[in-house]
Amino acid sequence: MTRWWLRPAVRVVAAIALPLLVPAIITALIWALPGDPASIICPPQSCGGTEVLAARWNLDAGPWSFFWGWLGGAVQGDFGNSWRLQQGVAVAELLREAVPNTLKLLGLAIIPVGLGSVAGARLRIPRGLDAVLQIVGLVPALVLSLVAAAAVTLAYGSAAYGAEANLVRLAAGALVLGLADGALSGAVLGTRDLFQTENKQRYVSVALLRGERRLPNTLPNVAPALAGQLRARLLHLLSGAVVVEVVLRIDGMGDLLWGGTLLQDFGVVLAAATCFSLISSFLLLLQAVVEIVTAWHVRRAPVLSATASTVEAAA
Amino acid sequence: MRGGEWTRRLAGAFALACLLLLGWAAWMAPEHLSPPDASLAYASPAELPPLGADNRGRPLTEYAMQGARVVALPSVAAGLVVMGFAVLGGLLACVGSSRVGTVIQALGEVVGALPRMLVILVVALVIPKDARGLLPLALTWAVLSAPGAMDEAAAVASRLGGARFVEALRAHGYRGSRIYGWHVVALNLRPVVVRQGAEVMMQVVFLEIALSYLAVVEDQPSFTHADSLVSWADLLNLGYPSLVLDVPSMHALVLGLALIGIVAAMSLCLGVAARAR
Repeated sequence: MTRWWLRPAVRVVAAIALPLLVPAIITALIWALPGDPASIICPPQSCGGTEVLAARWNLDAGPWSFFWGWLGGAVQGDFGNSWRLQQGVAVAELLREAVPNTLKLLGLAIIPVGLGSVAGARLRIPRGLDAVLQIVGLVPALVLSLVAAAAVTLAYGSAAYGAEANLVRLAAGALVLGLADGALSGAVLGTRDLFQTENKQRYVSVALLRGERRLPNTLPNVAPALAGQLRARLLHLLSGAVVVEVVLRIDGMGDLLWGGTLLQDFGVVLAAATCFSLISSFLLLLQAVVEIVTAWHVRRAPVLSATASTVEAAA
Repeated sequence: MRGGEWTRRLAGAFALACLLLLGWAAWMAPEHLSPPDASLAYASPAELPPLGADNRGRPLTEYAMQGARVVALPSVAAGLVVMGFAVLGGLLACVGSSRVGTVIQALGEVVGALPRMLVILVVALVIPKDARGLLPLALTWAVLSAPGAMDEAAAVASRLGGARFVEALRAHGYRGSRIYGWHVVALNLRPVVVRQGAEVMMQVVFLEIALSYLAVVEDQPSFTHADSLVSWADLLNLGYPSLVLDVPSMHALVLGLALIGIVAAMSLCLGVAARAR
């Protein structure tokens, strides 16, 4: 209790380090691959001018120079150019299209997960439904995505890539993300278990005897764990977004990351991975804030001297 | 025998049968698919028993067996690695060292800070084309899953009493190997350790199917297996057009989904079989 600040401090440090660490590791991996990075973009057997290209893209002066150059550009919003996916196109341009779509997808996918968490917290879902939830949670995102893609194609036919169909695909993708791979079942069961365990604590019984409600008493104590669960679930959704975006043809960050990986486009992968790590950092910071606010709230609570009646009530 | 015991035994028998079937199919899988036979294109299971044929008349049995070969060893290896980590987490909780616990928690925070798929794709990116395979990805997935498994096993060990439980058994005169190996791991950590291992096995199979499917729809080689092999994702890819077009490949889709269902059921049954009495 005396070092309550340690956990949030570690999270803040991790949140700051992550967006630096991820591109640094990827840069190191580019140079760890057999052959030099310039020949990955432009193999000397099939294209001339590899050295010129290496100089133009800052690949000729080693990993440190490349990393700091790339980071300096990224801070100003310049993520370099695509190496292979859309050769020569600015990655920032690709990200400008992709990031809003992924954020919309995640925003919508949080709705079923959030509703599941609220239902779990309020103990509204009967235990009899646990088996159903668990079975639904076993279905992989790929299978549900295929079903959703087929439904959109059947419903819209040749207009499957029109504006309306795109919105439907986004909504279907969010629903898939919210249900598949145990997202909903984890939200319901995880939150319910957390609150049920907390409700067994003696202070909750004392609060009930004093005529207080359960939730305002338990919430400050479960808030850090809830924030941790929420962060894990959002990361899970972000992970699943790769599959959902590719199968449902949603032009998001996951689709971009997949395309970059498939074609060994390090320019795109560096930028997309950094965006993913920025979202992770934001979630880490959010969790740290929740922990700090909770600790502050718990510490500022007035210390009441126990009167004879409250002691009796507690007994 | 009580109903619960029967359920456990049945679930165990089913899971074991599935595991053996997976191993057998992987072992017997042909090196290459049979040569095409246009006269058998899209043959149904009735026309070409037992599972029918693909668009070029090649038996789907070979798809199922080669897919089993792709996933069998890596998924089992990943499951075992996670089980090992979970046992370690539980045992460390029984040792009761707060410093070790803090270090593990910090490591878990770092490992768990990024979306798993991002890490998997970065690993896939740097595997040389001639060394592509599911095993490195499966082991990466296992390492990413390890902190959660260790945490859960540590929570079980803590509920058990942790270091005090061990002390109490020592007071009875039991040796360390019996306390840790039998009382802690086999009797108390078993349900959570086996369930975690089974879940990771299933996740690795699903990961392989997802990665292969995403590659195959883009007409690119998969990160998870050599080009000469096909995966269960190819069954889904072959069968998907039957949902939206007039292509008679529904049997391939059904087979792909059935294989996914069997893997999920196997994982579930392993967890049930290992439940505490």
